[in-house]
Amino acid sequence: MKTEDLKNSKEYKYGFTTDVENIRAPKGLNEDTIRFISKIKKEPKWMLEWRLKAFNRLKILKEPDWQKPKYPKINYQDLYYYSAPKGTSGKPKSLDEIDPKIIETYKKLGIPLDEQKRLNGIAVDAVFDSVSVATTFKDELTKKGIIFCSISEAVQKHPDLVKKYLGSVIPLSDHYFATLNSAVFTDGSFVYIPPNTKCPMELSTYFRINASETGQFERTLIIADKGSYVSYLEGCTAPMRDENQLHAANVELVALDDAEIKYSTVQNWYPGDENGVGGIYNFVTKRGACRGRNSKISWTQVETGSAITWKYPSCILQGDNSVGEFYSIAITNNHQKADTGTKMIHLGKNTKSKIISKGISAGKADNMYRGLVEIKNKASNSRNYTQCDSLLMGNKCGAHTIPYIKNNNSTSTIEHEATTTKINEEQLYYCNQRGLDQEEAVSLIVNGFCKEVLQQLPMEFAVEAQKLVAISLEGSVG
Amino acid sequence: MKNFYDFKVDNIKGLSAQEKKFRNKELDLFSKNGFPNKRQEAWKFTDLNTILSKNFFNITNDNISVKEKKFELIKEFDHNYLFILDGKLVSNEFKFEDKNKVLIKEYDYKNQISVSNQNSLNLLNNALATGGYYLEISKDYKFKKPLVVYNHFSESIKEQIISYKNSLILNENSELTILNYTDTNSKNNFFVNSFDYLELKKDSNLKNIFINKDRCNCYFHNYLKSDLKQNTNLDNYILSTGLKFNKIDIEINLNEEHAKSSIFSALSLGSEEHQEIKSSVNHNFKNCQSYQKIKNVLNDQSKGVYQGKIFVKQDAQKTDAYQLSKALLLNDNAEFDAKPELEIYADDVKCSHGSTSGSIDLNSIHYLKSRGIPEKKAYQMLINGFLSEILEKLPEDNLKKFLIEKIGRQINGY
Repeated sequence: MKTEDLKNSKEYKYGFTTDVENIRAPKGLNEDTIRFISKIKKEPKWMLEWRLKAFNRLKILKEPDWQKPKYPKINYQDLYYYSAPKGTSGKPKSLDEIDPKIIETYKKLGIPLDEQKRLNGIAVDAVFDSVSVATTFKDELTKKGIIFCSISEAVQKHPDLVKKYLGSVIPLSDHYFATLNSAVFTDGSFVYIPPNTKCPMELSTYFRINASETGQFERTLIIADKGSYVSYLEGCTAPMRDENQLHAANVELVALDDAEIKYSTVQNWYPGDENGVGGIYNFVTKRGACRGRNSKISWTQVETGSAITWKYPSCILQGDNSVGEFYSIAITNNHQKADTGTKMIHLGKNTKSKIISKGISAGKADNMYRGLVEIKNKASNSRNYTQCDSLLMGNKCGAHTIPYIKNNNSTSTIEHEATTTKINEEQLYYCNQRGLDQEEAVSLIVNGFCKEVLQQLPMEFAVEAQKLVAISLEGSVG
Repeated sequence: MKNFYDFKVDNIKGLSAQEKKFRNKELDLFSKNGFPNKRQEAWKFTDLNTILSKNFFNITNDNISVKEKKFELIKEFDHNYLFILDGKLVSNEFKFEDKNKVLIKEYDYKNQISVSNQNSLNLLNNALATGGYYLEISKDYKFKKPLVVYNHFSESIKEQIISYKNSLILNENSELTILNYTDTNSKNNFFVNSFDYLELKKDSNLKNIFINKDRCNCYFHNYLKSDLKQNTNLDNYILSTGLKFNKIDIEINLNEEHAKSSIFSALSLGSEEHQEIKSSVNHNFKNCQSYQKIKNVLNDQSKGVYQGKIFVKQDAQKTDAYQLSKALLLNDNAEFDAKPELEIYADDVKCSHGSTSGSIDLNSIHYLKSRGIPEKKAYQMLINGFLSEILEKLPEDNLKKFLIEKIGRQINGY
C-alpha cells in the first residue's frame, strides 16, 4: 500500500508515514549501542554508568511469561535502539527551522504547535520517534519556575533533580522491560513543578512511532513538589506497520507533601489489521509514588489501540492521608489483547484508593483486568474501593478479571466488585426504535457504560476519547 | 536448604511392577518441583514449602500399622458412618439404610483416577496414596440419614505424610448428605494430602460438609474434583476447622445442562491458623448455575485465603455465576487475601463477584454496649450475625444444630 492510499484508509485514520531521514544506532542490544545513545545525547558520565548498570542487571533477568496475552519471541538484537529525525543535532530555535514534513504530520494529528493552537492553552513537548523536536510555551512555564523539557535536556541542565528522582519509583532492578528501558531509553518528558505552584495549563506530549523496527523506549519523570498541582496528558498514534513494534516506556511520578498529579492517557496505536497481523506491543511500566502527606496521584487511561496492551499504572501510597486513583477504559476488537489494571499499595495511615475499570471486548479479542490492592500492616484506617465491569460483544471474545486482594490491617476496608455482561438488548432496541442505526446505538450505550471514566479526562481529551470509543468498535455488531 | 522430606514408593507394600513404575514416575515429577511455593499461581498467597520446612524435620511415608481404635460417635443426631483411621477404611455402618443400595469398599488403585494437572501435591498423592474408600449409591436411592465420615488420625502419627484417595459415585436420582469429620488425638505434626473424586449422575443431589472436631497440629491439603451431569446439585459447606494449615482445592465441572453447584464457607480462625479455599468452577455447558459465598472471621495471627475462579466456556450461554467473599479482621496481625477470578468466553451470561474485607463495625459495638451488653459479648453477637448467613443454609435440622453449636464454641472462645 502506498502512503497515498494509507492516508485515505478509513480503518486507521492516523496510518501514514513521513519521509524523514533517520539517524540510527546500528541494530542490536549491547554495550556499544548504549554508549552510542549516551554519547549522542551528550550525557554526563554518571548517566552512562547508570545505563550500563541497568544493562548488566538485564543480563540476568528473564522476560516475564505469566501474562495472558502471549506474543512471539522478540529478537532484541534485531531492533534499532536509537533513531532520530535528521537535523536535530543542533536544536531549532523556532518552528520555522523544523522540517516542514514533521510539521505536516503534526497537523494531521492535530497537535497544537502553531499560534492558533496556542489559544487552547496546551504546551506540547512533541516526541517524533525518539527526540523531542520542539517545545512550546516554555517561557510561560519558566516564569512560574516550572521545568518542562525532554529528559535528555534535564539530564544536562538539572542533573541534581534527575539524579535524585530517576529510578526512585521504578528501580533499576525492576522487571525485564523496565530494566531494558533504563538501559536504552532515548527520550521522553521531564516535568518539575516547584513548591506551591499550580501549573497553569495542561502539559501534553504526543508520542509518535515512525521509523520501522524501532522500539520506542520513552522515559517520563514528573515531580510535583510540596503543595503543587499538575495535569499531564499523553496521547499516542502510530502509522501502519506490518511488523510488530515494541514499546516499553517507563513513567515515574513523584508527589511530595500536599501535591497532586493527574496523568491522562489516550492510547490509539496501530492495533493490527482484522486478522491480527501487525500492531504495536505496548509493554509500559507506569508507577507513581505518593511520597508526601496528603498527596494525590490520579491515573486515567483510555486504551483502544495496540495489538497487545500490557500495563499496570500503579500508586505507592507512602505518605499519610495520600490518595491514589485509577480510571480505565480498555477496548479490544478483532485480535487485540489487553492485560491491564493497577496496583494500589497502601503503606501510610488513612490512605485511600479508588479503582474504576471498564473493559469492552469485541471480535476475537481478549480483555483482562488484573490488579493488586494491598493494605500493609501499618496502614491503619485505609480504604479501597474497586469496581471493574466488563462488556462482551459477540461470543468469540473473552473478558477476564483477576484481582489480587491483600488486607493485613484490621482497621482498613477493601471493597471489590465486578460484573460481566453483554449489551442490553432492550436498550439497543429502544435506540433503534428512535432512529439510531446499530452502530450509533452501540456507540451511545458504550459511551454511557464508560461515562464514569470519560468524565475524569480533561475536556480536550474527553471529546477525542469519545470519538475513539466509537471508532474502535466499528463493525463489531451486526 | 536440607530436604525435610524423604518419600519412598518402596514403603508401600503389595504393589505390582506396573503400579510401582507409575508411582515412581509421579514421585520423580513431584521431586522436580518439590512442595509448592508462591511462584506458582495457584499458591500465590501461601508458601507451603516454607511452612512445612519450618515445622517438620523429616516427613516420611512409613507404613503405619492400623489398629482398631475406639472412637466417639456423635450422639446429637442419628447417622450412618464410615470410620477411617489414618486414611484407611476400618469399619462402616449403614443401619438406617437399605444395604443393597449402598456399595462400599476400599479404593481400587488399579483403576485410579489420575489428575492431569500441574499441582505437585496431586502428583505426590498419585505416588503415595494408599487406603481410602469407594462409595456408590444406587439409582433412585435417597439416604434417610446423613453419612458421617470419621477421619481419625492416631496418636502415634508424627512427622508423617498420609495420602489417600476417595471416590463417591451418585447414580441417577440419588441423594446423600455427607459430613467429613476430622478428628485426632495426636499432638504431633503430620501432613495429610488427599484426593476426592465425586461423580453426580443425572438428577442426583449431594450435600458435602467439612468440619474439624478440635484444634490440632495437622497440615491438610484436599483436592476435590467433581463432575456434574444434567440437573444435578452439589452443595459444599466448608466450616471452621482449627487445623494448623488447611487448603481445600475444589474443582467443579458443570458438564451438562441445569447442573448447579455451590460453595458456602463460614470460618472463624484464631492463633496461627491458616485456611485456604481455592475453587475453580468450570461452566462447560449452557444453562448451569454456580454460587459461592465465603465468610471469614480472622483473629490473632491467622490467615484466610480465598482464590476463586469462574471459567465460562464459549458455548456455555445463559450461565449464572456468582462469587462473594467477605472477611472480618479482628487483629492487625491477621491477614485476608483474595483472588476472585473471572474468565469468560460466552457473552450471554450473568457473572459477578464481590470481595470485601475490613474491621468490625465500631458503631454497632457502641450501640450494643450502650444497651448494657459487655464488649466481649457484643463482639460475639456481631460475629455470630456475620456467619449466620452461611450457617442458616446448612441442611437437616439436627445436623445443623450440632454444627452451629460447634462453631459457636469456637467463636465464643474468642
